[in-house]
Amino acid sequence: MKAPFSALAARLAVVLLAVVLAACSASNMARPGEDGEPRLYSNNSTLANRLAVEALQDKTVGDLLYVQATLENGWKFELDFQYKIKWFDRDGFEVAPESQPWRQLVMAGRSQNNVQAVAPNPSAVRYQIWVRE
Amino acid sequence: MVRVFSVLTLGLALVLSGCASRVDYGDAQARETVTADFGSTDLQMIATKMVDDMMVFPPIVEMTRERRPVLFVDRIKNKTSEHIDTESVTDTIQSKLINSGKFRFVDMSVVDRVREQLEYQQDSGLVDQATAAQMGRQIGAEFMLYGNLSSIVKRDDSTKDVYYKFTLKLLNIQSGIIEWSGEKEIRKTRKRSLFGF
Repeated sequence: MKAPFSALAARLAVVLLAVVLAACSASNMARPGEDGEPRLYSNNSTLANRLAVEALQDKTVGDLLYVQATLENGWKFELDFQYKIKWFDRDGFEVAPESQPWRQLVMAGRSQNNVQAVAPNPSAVRYQIWVRE
Repeated sequence: MVRVFSVLTLGLALVLSGCASRVDYGDAQARETVTADFGSTDLQMIATKMVDDMMVFPPIVEMTRERRPVLFVDRIKNKTSEHIDTESVTDTIQSKLINSGKFRFVDMSVVDRVREQLEYQQDSGLVDQATAAQMGRQIGAEFMLYGNLSSIVKRDDSTKDVYYKFTLKLLNIQSGIIEWSGEKEIRKTRKRSLFGF
């Protein structure tokens, strides 16, 4: 017994709606690294899926944390986006949140870029890398 | 008749709401590309790059390991053809350096007002001398921050290309040696759309 056309259309609409809602609700999506720790945070699941952190290094310069992340654009087209390093102190409080700007980055398709940042002051001991369009 | 009146009322409401202005708060750090002129995103990028570069330069790291040197900001020469508030750039750099806990600053723009206050405390007879700030106790700056902002603008019928170069230097006032220098380049291109809108 064939389903009527209107029933099929209704099912298709429900599936499409579910897909759209799922895409919209992918907030604070984090891409895990090899150690399972999230390395890349984004509210934009499309962008987060196209970008990957290939390597993440940090060292202390004086008493300031210095971070270098190797970002890879896995997409074949140019990616124009912003990134930001959020810094946190020992107690999990974000350090100087308003003074950390979003930085511009344009990456060619299938390319890698190193991005670097220095902690705003010595209280920063942890960090997160956020990206947005 | 009633239906016509309703339609007219609805139409009038739509027209009026279309004319109404609206104010919204936006993200101060959002990418600003209204024109190719110098903008807030450029200011933020420059300040962050300068401070990051300065903080990891080995002689600066060594210098600030045990003490907090005193700096003063001279000025950034605006060599572009635009009117740019370069003091705003140095203010942001200064705030970041102070909040890093590595440097202290003296502010030359308030010297006259500080002198007035010192004279008031010393000479007015109204201030308890046990708490009055003393003349001649200010700390002299050891370093001076200064620099340039220049631009090269090229344009043709459909494209405007702007290249900015910001240079910042840290000079030892006593020795005259430039201890550190940083640069940030920015390129912005505006292309007119096919129909010129």
